[in-house]
Amino acid sequence: MRLEGKRALVTGGRQGIGRAIVEAFLREGAEVVTCGRGGDSGDLPEGCGWVTADVSDPAQAAALVEACGALDVLVNNAGVQVEKTVVDSTDADWELVIGANCRGVFNVCRAAIPVMRDGGAIVNIGSISGQNADPSMALYNASKAFVHGLTRSIAVDHGPKIRCNAICPGWINTGMLEAGFDLAGDPAAARRDAIARHPVRRFGEPGDIAAMAVWLASDEAGFASGQLFTIDGGMTAASPLNPGMF
Amino acid sequence: MGRLEGKVALVTGGRGGIGRAICARFEAEGAVVYAADLSEAGSLAAPDGASRFVRVDVSDEESVTAAMARVAEEQGRLDVLVNAAGIEIEKTIEETSLEEWNRSFAVNVTGTFLTSKHALPLLRKAAADGVSSGIINFGSYDGFIADPGLAAYCATKGAVHALTRAMACDHGPEGIRVNAICPGYIDTPMLQSFFTGDGSGGGGKSIGELQQAVRDVHPLRTYGTPEDIANLVTWLASDEARYASGQLWVLDGGLSAQVQQMRI
Repeated sequence: MRLEGKRALVTGGRQGIGRAIVEAFLREGAEVVTCGRGGDSGDLPEGCGWVTADVSDPAQAAALVEACGALDVLVNNAGVQVEKTVVDSTDADWELVIGANCRGVFNVCRAAIPVMRDGGAIVNIGSISGQNADPSMALYNASKAFVHGLTRSIAVDHGPKIRCNAICPGWINTGMLEAGFDLAGDPAAARRDAIARHPVRRFGEPGDIAAMAVWLASDEAGFASGQLFTIDGGMTAASPLNPGMF
Repeated sequence: MGRLEGKVALVTGGRGGIGRAICARFEAEGAVVYAADLSEAGSLAAPDGASRFVRVDVSDEESVTAAMARVAEEQGRLDVLVNAAGIEIEKTIEETSLEEWNRSFAVNVTGTFLTSKHALPLLRKAAADGVSSGIINFGSYDGFIADPGLAAYCATKGAVHALTRAMACDHGPEGIRVNAICPGYIDTPMLQSFFTGDGSGGGGKSIGELQQAVRDVHPLRTYGTPEDIANLVTWLASDEARYASGQLWVLDGGLSAQVQQMRI
């Protein structure tokens, strides 16, 4: 098993991509703790530890890391999205998105890095939206660009003790993707159009991202640090012109 | 006073859609301009141009050295080289013959190499006189992200991007700046041929409908004009850009800032 003997914290592991990472880490032999704002949903995989914590709060993030003990792997997955332009975004939207996606990642990293074991790995969940803009996702897009910048900084400042990388998922089958399609006038047509824009002709599954997270957390990735790894079924390699136009 | 007053410039593809606009603008800004192309009319029907015409096949070294010899004799130096000559084969790699592949690289990559190589002695003379001299290559947004059925073109433009950075590193210490412009969709004979080309399935759309569909996918809802490109080339050629080097300048109406367009 590729993560045998490693202790991992995966934030936001109750559902979606985080859940798939928790399950994959357990399969690969890691000890796993996850966290979330609400209570334990009761359906966590066997053997997964749970801490109730809102990572956007520095004190709760510090208590979370203390509860975990010495960590080998930290996956900053917890995140939220608000589908709005700059003009439509409220102060509360700012607090929510920047709080979870930026300050949350910062809080947990600041608390965890000093107590992580040598050779530890941080895997942040960035986004293709941190590189190019999705429409009406202004704060989310900007928050993911922050994650990319912080990833490089941690790799530079805290190597060789810690490796730090980010995964940039494309469109992954999760509740967040559904929320995006609900914005379209015709969500079913939008779905078909979106799939046609993927060279692999499907959306990603949470497991596709978990597979990269396992690799980045494993010792096989010992020379990988400071980089963004895009997993998007080839979508951002293609121009944004409508599929089949020419 | 023009922004390129007294500068000597040579523009390859100088009778093509974008090259012609650059020549006209450079002249309006006071430069002495050589329009280098395969034929005097180039890819547009009407011959024109106050600019001096010099017949050049950029893929042919003798042809390139002859053009540079003429500039040397008449001007004694070159301040600005614009490598705008380029061709586009609308095919996947499976459909592309070795001859078409080699021709794409011969014009788009080897052409940029040859004209730059043989312009260097003249560019150095300008730089030695304290003039901010430079080379402006033509990359493409297709050098970053792929349009379907343009494999060789995408590959040549990626090569131009890397060559631009390499040249900027090597010749920056000599006072020679090297940059690349990466246009998106620009209204040129090349684009019109893309709309009407054999590779265009078009889904039963008329050319007009295709053009509108392409405009609509841009955040600015239009594709660019050759003059839009000439505006940036003029800035890069001017002394205002004296600290700009080694960069790829995307000018595409916001096209590649998007993840994907989804408006239904």
